[in-house]
Amino acid sequence: MKEPCKAWVLMTETAVYLQPAFILQHRKFRETSLILDVLTRDYGRVSLLARGVRKSRSKTAGLLQPFIPLAISYLGRMELKIMTNVEIIPPYHQLQGAALYSGFYINELIGFFLHKDDPHPEIFNHYRECVIDLADSSKTEAALRNFEIDLVHHAGYGLQLNYDLQHNQPLDSLKTYKFDIEQGPIEAEDGKFSGAGLQAISSREFSDPQVLVEAKRLMRTVIDSYLQGKQLKTRLIMSKIIKHTKNA
Amino acid sequence: MHKKGLLGELIQSLCCLPGVGPKSAQRMAFHLLQRDRNRGKLLADTLLRAIDDIGYCQHCRTLTEEDLCGICANDSRDHSIVCIVESPADVWVIDQATIFRGQYFVLHGRLSPLDGLGPDELGLDLLEQRLASGSIKELILATNSTVEGEATAYFIGELAKKHQVSASRIAHGVPMGGELEFIDSGTLSHAFNGRKVI
Repeated sequence: MKEPCKAWVLMTETAVYLQPAFILQHRKFRETSLILDVLTRDYGRVSLLARGVRKSRSKTAGLLQPFIPLAISYLGRMELKIMTNVEIIPPYHQLQGAALYSGFYINELIGFFLHKDDPHPEIFNHYRECVIDLADSSKTEAALRNFEIDLVHHAGYGLQLNYDLQHNQPLDSLKTYKFDIEQGPIEAEDGKFSGAGLQAISSREFSDPQVLVEAKRLMRTVIDSYLQGKQLKTRLIMSKIIKHTKNA
Repeated sequence: MHKKGLLGELIQSLCCLPGVGPKSAQRMAFHLLQRDRNRGKLLADTLLRAIDDIGYCQHCRTLTEEDLCGICANDSRDHSIVCIVESPADVWVIDQATIFRGQYFVLHGRLSPLDGLGPDELGLDLLEQRLASGSIKELILATNSTVEGEATAYFIGELAKKHQVSASRIAHGVPMGGELEFIDSGTLSHAFNGRKVI
């Protein structure tokens, strides 16, 4: 009786059932398989091997795409787990056109800010909300800024926007500030950010287009400083794409 | 399992083919050497010539040993309709299966920002030159039905718009003879979104 018992214990400690997940990136592996980089809710980023899903009769090939909310089951204790089952979690909003590029961008950010097997259920939830918002093209910019702020915050880099530590006073909406990555806003005559703008960003009021412009500039400064000189591929490609489509 | 000698080397080399593992490679090697040396010679000769001579068509980037491929050089085909595909294999598949009589353009990949694959890697400068010359009236976007394929189609659609060329995307959905009960939910919802008036 000992053997089956042992096998059962072994299975339970390595099997994950119907875990909410999004695929961040997939690449082909051998003839018919895929290697997936997956963001799960409770287990963080995981690499999965999906065997035989690229056959012509495959039932799951249509599901194994980024930006679709999935419930994935997998097995294994090694770094590369074996996917056993995948289901879609309805309702889902298909990203189309330009929204796809925004989606690739947030996937790359996740890949940069989250380490493998480091669970962040809050980030997963923000990611899911962001994907839903991206499906509505009028919300794209606000959705991206919200996600960037949440990601930076939950990944452990605090973003303080309410207080000028150097002058020891709260932000004044009529003054201008420069932004220091360690200390937050610092009052400065030639500062690039307005007090009112930073306050609006802090309370996530993105209805004013001017606030969105400032938020984009701010988050770019913040993210670039954490990237430490590394280039985001999606940003590079996006700028090339814009160059191609706009220079009429 | 590295076998020594020329035979081992041959088996090892055959393993580079898709779908060929050590066992099949072994069978192929023994078959050629024991039963069919003449055809083996022919195969080796053709392979060498193909590798040396086959390059890309200057017009559509498909594989050919000429400057222009058979399709581009064929005057009876419609030069004003161009079908965009990801790989040269897709050209063959579409040409055999459909009544399409226009020309093709092969991207040799898809836009994949996460892998750093952008417009420059897909030869889109060449496509844009052709769009700008005004000889193309319609584009058919036959990239794969993946997220990257969609992103590629969207981008080329925008290029077409810039040059006032109409662009259409091939349909995706329920396969022929498919029963709804057995279709995955992703495909089914795509089919619903892409329904058409009858």
